[in-house]
Amino acid sequence: MRKLLLIACALFIGYTSQAQQSSVKGEINDTINKVSLQNTVISLLRAKDSVLVKFTRSNKEGHFELNNVKDGNYVIMITHATYANYYDQLTVKPGEEIKLGRIPLTLQAKLLENVTVRQTIAAMRMKGDTLEYRTDSFKVRQGASVEDLLKVLPGIQVDKDGKITAQGEKIEKVLVDGEEFFSDDPTIATRGLQADALERVQVFDKKSDQATFTGIDDGQKTKTLNLKLKEDRKKGYFGKLDAAAGTDDRWNGQAMINVFKGKRKFSAYGIMSSTGKTGLDWNDQSNYGGGQNMEMMDDGGIMMFGGGGQDFSAYGQGLPKSWTGALHYSNKYNNDKQNINGSYRYSKLNTEGFNNSLSQNVIENNVIYQRDQTTNSSSRFRHSLSGIYDLQIDSFTSVKITLNGYKGENRGLSNFFGEVEQEANGRRSTREGYSTNAGENQNLTSSLLLRKRFRKPGRTVSLNVDQAHNRNNTAGIQYSLNEYFSGTVLDSARLFDQQKLNISESNSVNTRIVYTEPLSKKLFTEVNYGLRISNNNSERSTFNADNTGKYTMFDNIYSNNYKFNFLINTFGLNFKYNTKKVNMGAGMDVAQADFKQTDQLSKVETKRNYTNLFPKANFTYIFNANSRFTFTYNGNTRQPSISQIQPVRDNTNTLVELIGNANLKQEFRQNFNLRYNSYKMLNQRGIYTSFNMSTTSNAISRYDIIEPTGKTTSQYINVNGNYNFFSNIGYNLKVKALDAHVNFGINLNGGRYIQFVNTKRNVTNTLTPGFGFGFNKGKEKKYSANLWANFNYNMSKSSLFPDRETNYYTFSAYPNFNVQLPAKFEINVDAEINLRQKTSVFDQDNNVYLLNGYIGRKILKNDKGIIKITGYDLLNQNKGYNRFISNNSIQERTFQVLQQYFMLNFTWNFAKTPAGMGPMQY
Amino acid sequence: MKKLFITILSIAFFSATQAQTFVSKGKIEYEKKVNLHSNLENDSWSQMIMKTLPKFKTTYFDLFFDNGKTVYKPGKDVIEPVKIPDWVLGPANDNTVFTDLEKQTVTAQKTVFDGTYLLNDSTRKLDWKITNDTRTIAGFECRKATAIIMDSIFVVAFYTDQILATGGPESFNGLPGMILGLAIPRLHATWYATKLEMVQVKETDLAAPSKGKKINKTELNSKLADAMKNWGKEGTRNIWQVML
Repeated sequence: MRKLLLIACALFIGYTSQAQQSSVKGEINDTINKVSLQNTVISLLRAKDSVLVKFTRSNKEGHFELNNVKDGNYVIMITHATYANYYDQLTVKPGEEIKLGRIPLTLQAKLLENVTVRQTIAAMRMKGDTLEYRTDSFKVRQGASVEDLLKVLPGIQVDKDGKITAQGEKIEKVLVDGEEFFSDDPTIATRGLQADALERVQVFDKKSDQATFTGIDDGQKTKTLNLKLKEDRKKGYFGKLDAAAGTDDRWNGQAMINVFKGKRKFSAYGIMSSTGKTGLDWNDQSNYGGGQNMEMMDDGGIMMFGGGGQDFSAYGQGLPKSWTGALHYSNKYNNDKQNINGSYRYSKLNTEGFNNSLSQNVIENNVIYQRDQTTNSSSRFRHSLSGIYDLQIDSFTSVKITLNGYKGENRGLSNFFGEVEQEANGRRSTREGYSTNAGENQNLTSSLLLRKRFRKPGRTVSLNVDQAHNRNNTAGIQYSLNEYFSGTVLDSARLFDQQKLNISESNSVNTRIVYTEPLSKKLFTEVNYGLRISNNNSERSTFNADNTGKYTMFDNIYSNNYKFNFLINTFGLNFKYNTKKVNMGAGMDVAQADFKQTDQLSKVETKRNYTNLFPKANFTYIFNANSRFTFTYNGNTRQPSISQIQPVRDNTNTLVELIGNANLKQEFRQNFNLRYNSYKMLNQRGIYTSFNMSTTSNAISRYDIIEPTGKTTSQYINVNGNYNFFSNIGYNLKVKALDAHVNFGINLNGGRYIQFVNTKRNVTNTLTPGFGFGFNKGKEKKYSANLWANFNYNMSKSSLFPDRETNYYTFSAYPNFNVQLPAKFEINVDAEINLRQKTSVFDQDNNVYLLNGYIGRKILKNDKGIIKITGYDLLNQNKGYNRFISNNSIQERTFQVLQQYFMLNFTWNFAKTPAGMGPMQY
Repeated sequence: MKKLFITILSIAFFSATQAQTFVSKGKIEYEKKVNLHSNLENDSWSQMIMKTLPKFKTTYFDLFFDNGKTVYKPGKDVIEPVKIPDWVLGPANDNTVFTDLEKQTVTAQKTVFDGTYLLNDSTRKLDWKITNDTRTIAGFECRKATAIIMDSIFVVAFYTDQILATGGPESFNGLPGMILGLAIPRLHATWYATKLEMVQVKETDLAAPSKGKKINKTELNSKLADAMKNWGKEGTRNIWQVML
């Protein structure tokens, strides 16, 4: 390579007229072979920094000429591929001769020091399919929770129960820094964390673990919200203490600490409250502690469970008192190859309340009114534990073990009075009494997930084994005096004084193995096999009181005891095709399901076998980084539940009797979803549209015979023509002139539902157009103003009852205004406005204006504390109200809710952040 | 990195008398590698994504050169087993750049998020610092030169004077030969030539791109700066990536 030849240069110095610029000329020669060298590069480098100033190549004769050279100091570098390099210093002065001397040049490349880039914060943007909000751009009051923040983010709505909707779709998972926070209950994070701890909020479609693992998009997505903590909240600790006392026995206490150190995270919180302020999920789970539920699984299986879900509920109805404590620990070891995550939670909830309902059933020539009044009190507690262990054995193999369990108890008492009145014949019946229950429940689930990837990209195998155990025992007394009148004359009376003992237990194991194989670089196939085995027992024993008041007499009619077992084999084959612009897939799962129900009392055995089909297809076209169109299709057959074929006797509701239908066929549901999202990066505006439609053939619907007495006999039958759809278009933009975020959207939902009432086919069509509008504007440390408003017009028509007008509007709005006053004072006002128009049935508008506010003053260094006087329901007109309309019945419910109270509140935020950080933002 | 696909048949041997070791036209293939992990932030959210992504994103580009003109355009496809999210990659990853080295003009077609732009401008003038370091790339001995672009971005280039065209990948040129290696540490990106093919360069190979909204460098830069001003670090990175 390196031939050591020296190049001699003959240099001529020439004057180039008057322009104070010189030219350098020369000739390149191979001194040994005495040939002139063509294409030799002659470079002129600035001496002080060796920056290339000029270069040229020698011509055929080896001559070169560099013209218009400014005066200065240079290094001349002459290189020729197979020759050694030649360097010399060269000083060019206007018109003066240049001498060459040989000087080797060494200059080290010096990396410039990184320039610090100032980071400013943007409002929102798309990152591929992730929508990201920079939280600092959205103004919320100090000390606001994450939920308060979410309410002001364009495109996100949060309802009263803490359920979150983003881009028109329900958020199913909330993560904190990519991980679950305490539990899979979203409100733990959204109500437990303060908004100012967040740097960003990200909304995205979380791919299934399977898709993430295999890299093959299977189209299964969970709308997920990720809360990204600020960097300074990841080290050291931060927390909050909150204490409040008020009128009407209202109080709150909250302590919360988060300690972070590297990968280790520890957090703990405790909350006690009588105002419903809590980290718990209060979603409605009225069947907690007693009822039995069945749930259809995706593969056509049935999961049976007693008791509630993970958490307690009842908030929003009645007056709650709650106590919650939780610990959470997570850590990563061994270069993140091992990851543990554990939580413990204790929660207790006492509620008291009353509940009135009025319903109206129209049957041909009769109208039946039913009024119910209930007062109830309940108390329940639960200890929950959860743990996850993740092990990355090597870059190809991983294991994940998940364990969840809880144990709890519940007690309840309710007093009721009910009345049923028939307009046509003046018959009337009443029932009055009380019921008590006490029970305990326990649950344990575990899962093992083993995944292996092979060297060939796309070839993977995974094994998943899930186990679930559930046990629920309750004991209770049902005491009820039922009286039947014609006019005012008492016809008959019956006393129920019964003890009910319920035991239910279920055990199931589910195994699934999935193999994926690339057929080409773009085409993949997936084969799966699954086996689910489930055994369930349910025993409901009813004893009537004997003369001594002891419950010794077994009641055959109101008791049942049955076993329910099933076994499902599933086989599936799917194909996926992925390119830069197009992702598509299609396939089908087939499940063979065998069910067996044994009535232990009557010894009746019911067996059923079904083959269920699950076709699916998806197509995505990617226009560009921020615009995509997606179509998905899912179909599934569902076999009728055993209770629809052969119901178990049950007298929980004496007014409804269920008859089995042995001829019931499987229903076939199909779901079509179209979505188009586009975000204009440079214009900072986006449009989100979606359309979803489901149709059901052979839909399992009801066939009701309503007797003049009001008693309903129901049977399940197959009908055709049921469908429902929902669609929405949302648009959001930043209005630069106003410096505000504005978003609006329209939605249209509707459907058709068919059932039979007294042998006649009743078709109910519903259509609900709506419009939503949001506005957010604020100036940091000055004010913030937010509004979300929603208007819907509900239309419903039944073919059997065409006269009945069931068109009405609902309007809800959530304005919020916060202003910072001088001398560290601040005022906050927020309102919840719910308007419901009267209809021919509901003779008055049902409007609630809930207005809350506080005035506060910041105290302590860095404004870390605040003292506030809070007023809840300032207009004193909060009420609990529900309205239900179905084809032939209308129901209105009022229930007890929290009403006006005032409170004195002290909050202290504390934090220790790494040295050098500025004062906390609160 | 050191793939030695050398197809320079004509230079395999040469006489000591006449040095016919210079290439005037042909096609160079570049392998562009971006370290995705380094582009991600060091938070657990990004770490979670990182686990699902390969460390490097590899793409190929072809550079045709002849008669003072070069065209740099996307080359052979690489199908990745894992789809890399667009936001990790950033914008402008499939540029086609036509450079007329004599007229000193550049026409570049770039996909920037949801838009395609056609950038018309003069060639970039850089203060290349020439060093003594050399390195062999695709069989050519290359000299290292460094420069600063866009005020603060450090660029390392390796050029060979055995190729007469003074071009390079993207819109880098102006060295006394062809740039066969390019590294931009701040973007965690490298371009290295894997082979030179002494093929006949057709006129169609050297055609300037024509799709996209016409814009000049200043306009595009200010448009980007406006849209990215609130994007923090990532915005800055995106601007750099587009304006390369």
